[in-house]
Amino acid sequence: MKKKLFAVLLAASMVLGLTACGAKDAPASKTETKTETTTEQSSASEEEAPAIDTSEHVKITYMFTGSKPEGAAMDRFMEMNDKLNEILTEKCNAELEFYWIGWTDYLSVYNMTIAAMDGSIDLIGTASDWLDAWPNAKNGAFLELSEDMLKTYAPQTWASVPAENWELCKYDGEIYLIPEDNYAQWTNHGFIYRADWAEKAGLANGVHSWEDMTKYFEYTTANADALGIKQAWDSDGTQNTQLASGWVASHTNFVPIDGICSSALWGGTKDDLYTVVTPAYTDTDMMVEYAKMMKSWNDMGVWKKDVLNNTTSTNRDDFRVGLVAADQHHTQTWTDLCSPTPSNKIYQDDPNAKAGFFYFGEETKNVVALSITHGAMAISAASKNPERALMVYDLLRNDEACYRLINYGIEGVSYEIDENGYRKNPEGYNPDTDNVGGATSWWWGRNDNLELRSADRAWDQIEALYDEYDKIKINYPYGQFIPNCDTIQGKIDNCNEQFGNYMKQISFGLYTGTAEDIVAEMQAALKAAGIEDVTAELQAQIDALYK
Amino acid sequence: MGKRNKTAASAAPVVKKKNFFQLLWKYRTLTLMCIPAIVFFFMFSYMPMPGIWVAFVKYNYRKGIFGSKFVGLQNFEFLAQSGKLWSLTKNTILYNIAFIILGNLLAVFMAILLNEMASKLFKKTAQTMMFLPYFISHVLVGVLVFNFLNYDTGFVNTILTNMGLERWQPYADPHVWPVLLVIIYLWQQTGYSSVVYFASIMGIDGEIIEAARVDGANAFQKIRYIILPCLKPTVVILLLFALGGIVKGNFGLFYNIIGTNSMLYDTTDIIETFVYRATMTDFNFSTASAVGLYQSLIGFFIVMVVNFVVKKIEPDYSLF
Repeated sequence: MKKKLFAVLLAASMVLGLTACGAKDAPASKTETKTETTTEQSSASEEEAPAIDTSEHVKITYMFTGSKPEGAAMDRFMEMNDKLNEILTEKCNAELEFYWIGWTDYLSVYNMTIAAMDGSIDLIGTASDWLDAWPNAKNGAFLELSEDMLKTYAPQTWASVPAENWELCKYDGEIYLIPEDNYAQWTNHGFIYRADWAEKAGLANGVHSWEDMTKYFEYTTANADALGIKQAWDSDGTQNTQLASGWVASHTNFVPIDGICSSALWGGTKDDLYTVVTPAYTDTDMMVEYAKMMKSWNDMGVWKKDVLNNTTSTNRDDFRVGLVAADQHHTQTWTDLCSPTPSNKIYQDDPNAKAGFFYFGEETKNVVALSITHGAMAISAASKNPERALMVYDLLRNDEACYRLINYGIEGVSYEIDENGYRKNPEGYNPDTDNVGGATSWWWGRNDNLELRSADRAWDQIEALYDEYDKIKINYPYGQFIPNCDTIQGKIDNCNEQFGNYMKQISFGLYTGTAEDIVAEMQAALKAAGIEDVTAELQAQIDALYK
Repeated sequence: MGKRNKTAASAAPVVKKKNFFQLLWKYRTLTLMCIPAIVFFFMFSYMPMPGIWVAFVKYNYRKGIFGSKFVGLQNFEFLAQSGKLWSLTKNTILYNIAFIILGNLLAVFMAILLNEMASKLFKKTAQTMMFLPYFISHVLVGVLVFNFLNYDTGFVNTILTNMGLERWQPYADPHVWPVLLVIIYLWQQTGYSSVVYFASIMGIDGEIIEAARVDGANAFQKIRYIILPCLKPTVVILLLFALGGIVKGNFGLFYNIIGTNSMLYDTTDIIETFVYRATMTDFNFSTASAVGLYQSLIGFFIVMVVNFVVKKIEPDYSLF
C-alpha cells in the first residue's frame, strides 16, 4: 500500500515537473519565432510572386477579453464558429478557435497568457489604452509586422488603413498593431442617468454638470422607494480613478496621455499640448472641491457604504430594469442603454423612461476623439502561423460573410436585415442564447463599410450626441508618443498606486478628516513617490519627439 | 551518521571511512524512500534557482531570462522608492508572528484537549468540525467574511439593527482588522495544525503516562510534566520551519478579505498585496522576482540566526 502511494506521488511530481518545464520553455519558443521571421523575410524578398502556401490546414487561435458563453449559448456559438470555419477553410485553409479571457482580473490573466509564449495563441485583441499593447510589444510579445508581410497576407487591410495611421502603430520603426481605424465610436466616459427622473428632480434640460448630478442624486436617494430603486448607483470600488479623471476633464482642459499607467495622471492641456502636467496633483482647489462633493454623495447614500469591497455589483443590468438611477461608463454603453432593446426593460415598463448622458468634459467642452488603437489586433511573437493569422484577420475584417458571422452570428438566427437595411432581431430571438456577436468581442477590426446598424438603437438621440462631439472634439494628439519608461517605471508604479489608494477614498468620499487634509496628504504621497521626476522625464521625451 | 558506524574488523584501530557511494548502497532502502522528496525539491527548488537571475535583468519575452539586458539592482529600486518598504515588512512580519505564535499555542491546546476527551464520537466530530474550514478556499472565506461584516446587509449589522443598536462599519476601520484577520486565520488553520500535535501526543510512550498515573499524577500534572515536554521538539522544529517564511505574507487571505480597500492598508497591507497592486499595471516579472528574492534572503537570514541560537541552547532541537 505504502509503496503504491509513493509510486503515485512520484509519478505526480514527475508530471508536475514536466508541465512546469513545458511552460517555462522560453528559449525554445524563441528559436521558433526566429525561424518564422526568417521565413517571412525570405518569402517577402521574393517580391514579384508572393506565392502563398496554404496547403497545410491550420488552426488559428484568437485570444480576447470577453465572457465565454455557456450551455445553449455555447451551442449557438459553435454553430456560428462551424459556419465561419467552413468559409475560412475554403478561402485560406484555416479555422478559427476562440480563446476567452474572462473579466475577473482580466488584465493580469491577459498579460500572463501572452507571456506564456508557448505558441498556443496567434491573434491577440489588444489596445494601447486599456490592454497594455505597448508594454507587451516592448517586452517582445508581439510580432513585428513588416510592410511586405501585411501587403501579402492582409492586402485589403493594408490598402484600407492610411499610411499616417500605420505610423501610429509603430514602435521603434516597426509596425506591431493593426488599428481599428474605420469604426466610429466614442468611449469618453460620463454618467448615464434617467432623464425622466431628472425632470422630476427639477432638471428639465437634463444633467449638464456635476452640480446637476448632485441635484439628481439628491432627488433619487430621497425618493428611492417611490422610484422603486434599491440604490441610486450601485458602484463597485474600481470606478475611482475613472471618476476622478471625469472630474478633471470637466474642470480643466487636460488631455491625458494614454498607456503610461492605469490612472490617467500625466498629459498636456488643450492650449499647450506638449507641456506635461498633472492637474490632479497640482490643482489643489479643484481636488478639494471634488473631495467635498464626493463626501456629500457618500453621505446621501448614492452608493453602498462598503463600496470599496463591493465586488459583486450588477449595476448595469439593474439599470436596464430600473433598479438603479445611474451608471458610469462610456458613450458606447449609453448608446445601448438609451435604446429600446429587448433587454432594456425600462422602456417596456415605462413609456416615459429615457436615459440621458452627461459626458465628462461637457462643461469645458473637453472631449478627445478616440485613439485608433483603442482596439487593435496583434500577432503573438510565438505564433506558429503568423501569415495565416493575418489572412484570417483580413477576411474577418473585410469579407462581408465572415464579418457578419463574427459580429452578428448566423442570419435568421441571431439577426436579420429589415427593409431599410437595418439589423434587427428575428422572430423567436432569445437574447440569452442567440447574441453570438456579444460573445466574440470583435473590437479589434470593426469596419464601418460592413457594419449593419441595429434597428432598435435610438439613432436620433445617438446621432445628436455624436454631432455635438464632432463640433468640440480634438483628435488624440499623442498617437506617436510611446514613452520609454525603463528608468522611471518604479516611480510610475508607485505614483499610480498612491494615486489609486487616495482616489478610492476621495472618489467615494470615505476619507476621515477634512477634504483639505486628504488632498494635501495625497499630494505629499505623490511627491514622495517621485511624481515630479516622472513628469520631468516625460517632458524630456515629449520635447525630443515634438519639438 | 557515518561516524557512528562500527566496522566488524576490530583489529584495525583506525575505522575505515566509507565513501559516499558505499554509504548510498548501505542505506539503499532509506535512500529509495527519500527519492520522491529529493526529486520534488530538485525540480521545484533547485532547478528554478538559476532563474533568480531574472531579478537582475529587464526581462524580454523573446530573449529569455539569460538573453535579456542586465540592469543590476534597478528592479529592487521600486520597492525602496515606494517609501513603504519598512511599513510593509513590519506588517508582514507582525502578522506572521501573531499567526505562528497564536496558531501553535492554540493548536497545542486543542490537541491536548482532543487527547483528553473520553467520548470517541465527540472527539471525532469535534476534530472534523475543526478541520473543515481548512478546506474552504480563501476566495470563499473572503465572501463569507464580507457577508458577515458588511455595513448594509451584513449578518452582524442585521442583528445589531434588530436589537436597536448602531451599525458597525469594520470595512472603514483599519484598527479592527489585525484582530479580525488573526481570528479568521486561526479559525481556518487550527484544525489542520492541531492534527500534527495530536499525532505526536499519540506517539508518546504509553508506559510513561501509565507510570505517572501510578505515581498519582493528576491530569494537569500529566500535561505539565509529560505531554508538554514531549511536544517540545515538534514545536521547536515547526517553529523553525515557519520562521523561514516569516517575511512571506499570506496573499490569498489578505487579498480576498481586504481586496483593494485602501482605507485599511495602514494595518493590512503586506508585501505581497502591495507588489501585486503596484506591478499588475506593467506586468513586470523582474520586479516581482526581485521582491521574492528580497523576502527569501531575509527568511534565510532569520532561519540561520534562530537555528544558531537553538543549537547553542539545545543542540538536539536544531535543524542542522
